[in-house]
Amino acid sequence: MYRFFISLFFFFILVDGFAQNQQEETDLKVDSIIYKSPYGLRLGIDISKPIKAAVDGSYNSGFEILADYRVSKRFFIATEIGYEDETTQEDYTNSSAKGSYIRLGFNYNAYENWLDMNNEIFVGYRYGFSVFDQTLNSYTPNISSTYFPANTFTPNTATNLNAHWSELMVGVKAETFKNLFVGFSVSYKVLMAVKEPDNFKTLYAPGFNRIFESGTGFGFNYTISYLIPFSKK
Amino acid sequence: MRKSIGFLCLILFTFYNCEKDDFCTQTPITPNLILRFYDDVNRESVKTVDNLYVWAEGKDSLFVNASLDSLFIPLNTANTETVYNFSKNNVVNQFTIQYTPNNEYLSRSCGYKVVFSDVTFSSDNTWITDFEPKTLTSIENQNEAHVQIFH
Repeated sequence: MYRFFISLFFFFILVDGFAQNQQEETDLKVDSIIYKSPYGLRLGIDISKPIKAAVDGSYNSGFEILADYRVSKRFFIATEIGYEDETTQEDYTNSSAKGSYIRLGFNYNAYENWLDMNNEIFVGYRYGFSVFDQTLNSYTPNISSTYFPANTFTPNTATNLNAHWSELMVGVKAETFKNLFVGFSVSYKVLMAVKEPDNFKTLYAPGFNRIFESGTGFGFNYTISYLIPFSKK
Repeated sequence: MRKSIGFLCLILFTFYNCEKDDFCTQTPITPNLILRFYDDVNRESVKTVDNLYVWAEGKDSLFVNASLDSLFIPLNTANTETVYNFSKNNVVNQFTIQYTPNNEYLSRSCGYKVVFSDVTFSSDNTWITDFEPKTLTSIENQNEAHVQIFH
């Protein structure tokens, strides 16, 4: 009985070996077609900001245009320029910030495209800078008792505030029609420097969004962009 | 279709991220005035006031028929003066606190704190015989009694 099994094993080994020999003999044809991809300037807008302005009552207005330029197979120089106006309502303060910003950096496309497809899954770095005004619309001092009513104070604007930050982003871009891209990205921002108003704090910076207690922030983009191809490589 | 629903969800999700993430844990923010009652002969020893009524001029009573050796009373942040009436056994003693309120920014969740500076105390001394100190540079916290009252 054992001899039967042992010989059965040898039989399988033989078959296996035979199959491998067969494969090695097949010729491999080298694919000679190279798919070229376009290089050029891509211009677009962030459509999430006008939607947010229409839906979200505390987001007064926002607009962002963006551009990127492909420098190598995987690297893109990228920039975003925009304007935002937002109102921050807190328990004891109500303030609004409005101003413009620019973000400059690069994207690295980590996605290996099939055939002539031209999509992206990218990671990016940005340096961001914004100049804005912040108005303290009103505030009520935080008094613990209700025995005496608290005064509510009137507007006070701090002009020419600025913020610098670094930003890491992850996103996707898909070519939906020829040269037309739809994409979204999320970003994590770390504040490097901010000019604070007197006896108050910068709670929101355009381009940065809400500044959290730790000096960090999050961003979101939903973009539609059009590629102007210069060359194909 | 499914893709666009996914996108919509993502967009909605980002707009509903307005949950509060920080809370003001400091209490109280704006300091109350702390008074401590002492014996007017033996000035080191704390002496309880019985049958004490406390109210600010033109306001309801804060303490009714209380028996206390110290008081926490709020100051009017909308004014530069607060007049308190301390009544003991139906004898009213008026105690006036004059100050300059300054709003000082603390944080996003706590907002502004009121700090009282250049504080001056005065009393019409009916049952209160004396008090210490007569002036204070500022009232910023509630760590210790601000005024010692002798009776």
